[in-house]
Amino acid sequence: MSEPVLVGNQLLELREQFENPEQQRETASIGMWVFLITEVMMFGGLFTAFTVYRLSNPAAFNEGSKEMTIVLGAINTALLILSSFTMALAVYSSSIGKTKLLAIFLIITMIIGLCFLGIKFTEYYLHYQDHKVPGFWFEYHGPSARQVQMFFVFYFILTGLHVIHMTIGIGILLVMLYRTLLGSFSATYHTAVDLAGIYWSFVDIIWIFLYAIFYIPGLHLK
Amino acid sequence: MQLQDQVHIGGSADMTIETIAEPVRKNYLNDKQGILSWLLTTDHKRIGLLYTFSITVLFFIGGFFALMMRLELLSPRNWLVSTETYNKLFTMHGIIMVWFFLIPSIPNTIGNFVIPLMIGAKDLAFPKLNLASWYVFMLGAGVTIYALFRGGVDTGWTFYTPFSTGYSTTYVIAAAMGIFISGFSTIMTSVNFIATIHRMRAPGLTWFRLPIFIWSMYANSVVLVLNTPVLAITLVMVAVERVFQVGIFDPALGGDPVLFQHMFWFYSHPAVYTMVLPGMAVISEIVPVFSRKPIFGYTAVAFSSVGIAVIGFLVWGHHMFVAGESVYSAMAFSLLSYFVAVPSAIKVFNWTATMYKGSVSWDTPMLYAIGFIGLFTIGGMTGLFLAALGLDVHVHDTYFVIAHFHYIMVGGTVMAFLGAFHYWWPKISGKLYPEGLGKLGAMIVFLGFNLTFFPQFVLGYLGMPRRYAAYPEEFQMLHIISTAGATILGVGYILPLCYLIWSWKYGKPAGPNPWRATGLEWQTSSPPPTHNFKKTPVVNVRAYDYEAMKEQLGLREREFENV
Amino acid sequence: MTPPPLTRKTLALVFLALWALVLGTTLIGFIDLGQYNIVVSVAFAAIQALLIALFFMQALYEGRIIRIIITGGIVWFLIMETLTLGDYMTRGWLPFPGK
Ligand SMILES: [Cu+2]
Repeated sequence: MSEPVLVGNQLLELREQFENPEQQRETASIGMWVFLITEVMMFGGLFTAFTVYRLSNPAAFNEGSKEMTIVLGAINTALLILSSFTMALAVYSSSIGKTKLLAIFLIITMIIGLCFLGIKFTEYYLHYQDHKVPGFWFEYHGPSARQVQMFFVFYFILTGLHVIHMTIGIGILLVMLYRTLLGSFSATYHTAVDLAGIYWSFVDIIWIFLYAIFYIPGLHLK
Repeated sequence: MQLQDQVHIGGSADMTIETIAEPVRKNYLNDKQGILSWLLTTDHKRIGLLYTFSITVLFFIGGFFALMMRLELLSPRNWLVSTETYNKLFTMHGIIMVWFFLIPSIPNTIGNFVIPLMIGAKDLAFPKLNLASWYVFMLGAGVTIYALFRGGVDTGWTFYTPFSTGYSTTYVIAAAMGIFISGFSTIMTSVNFIATIHRMRAPGLTWFRLPIFIWSMYANSVVLVLNTPVLAITLVMVAVERVFQVGIFDPALGGDPVLFQHMFWFYSHPAVYTMVLPGMAVISEIVPVFSRKPIFGYTAVAFSSVGIAVIGFLVWGHHMFVAGESVYSAMAFSLLSYFVAVPSAIKVFNWTATMYKGSVSWDTPMLYAIGFIGLFTIGGMTGLFLAALGLDVHVHDTYFVIAHFHYIMVGGTVMAFLGAFHYWWPKISGKLYPEGLGKLGAMIVFLGFNLTFFPQFVLGYLGMPRRYAAYPEEFQMLHIISTAGATILGVGYILPLCYLIWSWKYGKPAGPNPWRATGLEWQTSSPPPTHNFKKTPVVNVRAYDYEAMKEQLGLREREFENV
Repeated sequence: MTPPPLTRKTLALVFLALWALVLGTTLIGFIDLGQYNIVVSVAFAAIQALLIALFFMQALYEGRIIRIIITGGIVWFLIMETLTLGDYMTRGWLPFPGK
């Protein structure tokens, strides 16, 4: 499928449909960003629905937000930003050809990602204990129980979707680590790592918005 | 096998397109043999044919449901199927035709085949993704067919809540899942096209030298990338509500069903344009060739595709005029819906102007193209009726709407689909189809179509609502005419299928450029070699330069005759 | 405007700014701003998203096409939000039930 091409003493993976490595890199980058736009629109649909319901039931949605454990949420946000930073460093290391550093940063990023998932599932368990799982076990004593449940419906769909994206992200990083250890990347060819970094940071951005709409609005009620 | 000479239309100082000088025997069809070489291919041309095969099968499945409906409507009373079955028939007809025929129809078959050829590339940017998209499409189709065999769905193709989430007892989730999966395939193809058109163009092929086909396909891919994810997430929300009985759209559980319609039509109105934009793309290619003139107003036609893509996203509320949308919102959506007619009208006027004083030849693709222009105009104009707030209240959810969108989708897209297959058939198969039968088929389709759908405008205007298996007796005559037309239409679809398959084996060899068309895809042999061009072409002329070609033809008439 | 060269120092500064913003948004969340709590928190999130996109995702160093793609995505999300909300916000403006 692919033939090795000699560019500046480096063996590159140039696929047959491309004329040169630069074209291949730019094309892949356009593909990745367009894909992220589809992600923006997918999460955007949920954000739109959330906004509509939040505007009609602001108090109930703040009540729902009050049920969040802010410490866990804040730690998770901080962790994810840290992982985005280590991922950016991984991309940087690959661009200067330091593949050992690249491997190390990939591993660190993955570990932080797993910590995030651990804390997230702890939170889910706490919601379960609080009887705050819509559809299975939901109890809320107050005038607007249905609206509070709506808040939790969106909370579970959005964070659940985010968890799926995180899991895929960790899978991608594993592949990148494997390819790093095989020696596929160098200062001249590291497109795959760049794209993985873009994806990982994007998932981080989604979480930052989730933190802003689910955790913060009920804080002042505590 | 006949030696296939390359036709040089380049050569003069202002027109040099490098072509292959030597005969090409190997082509993408005989390069590798065996079923696996097809199932594992990454060649965009072969994947285009895989899509063609699947989509044709699905088209006839969807058509079968339509036929059953038309038969049922012969009588004012239920005589053939029960009301429940009728509900399932129109739902499955809609789902299969919209998501498994119309949306992938032209882009994934013809688009897949000719985009890299037209821009002088060896393949699409991501060939493996392209193959994956076909498998994902097949999986989506499989899941939908599974829902069908388990007993079908009765919500209508629009899945309106709360019926779909709370009350329907049919296989809503399986059908929604099938559509969700096929959405991924759409996105994969669109991302591929966008990256390809941006970065894989041949040297010298600037944006304003591209054939209009590429502009329209680009606009189409952009729309699909922006709207498909919203449909996906809306269907997920429907499934969540249906499984867990939590309120998202069901008013009994605190939700708002109108929000579902907002999100669904944010997808589905632009989706209507993703069904017709590829059709417009095809017509913009066929009309110049058979008029022997460059397309009139190239820039206007190119940007009208972009205009449709943008304005098409601002009009979705016209589906909700009677659904409880606010009056102010409805007014805004109505006004914007009028605006979206402008770029479509630009296209129609420019196609007509292209034919004006051209030397028009009445080959089969041109017949389909002219049919498209006429039927699309009727469909578009009746769309303006529906965009008018007052009139929409009267004809909303009647056969008027049915006739309107079938004029766009069947009269428009399916005509363009058939036109495209006739036009590029020599390139795809290397063979000529029988021209006489082709013309006959085009005429049967045109006649059958109008006989089927024109009476439905009248029916709707007189008050016949859509989605009913039984109706007052005064409507029977019009329904019988419509059913008769549908039968003729069915014949019109089967005929091309037969002679195209026949010509695959027994047709006369086509030569590289039987239409004497411009465009890079006609510069390579038919069928093209696996990597399309022996040498990457260099372009320094605008598209549709038939003037230069005419001069060239004068010099090389004999060469053409031997093709 | 030429962007600052992407060094480890730039990345570290961006990272620290991001943590500061998380801390800031969390602390401001404890103050009762009425309906504006979520507005402020989303605004903070937007700034963080911008920083991550520009530096960590290196959008600042990409060409024109990528910038158009990103802007287009955001604009289309906003189209969906505003036209949908436009309906909900203008309901009940007329003195008829349901309109
Ligand atoms: Cu519409």
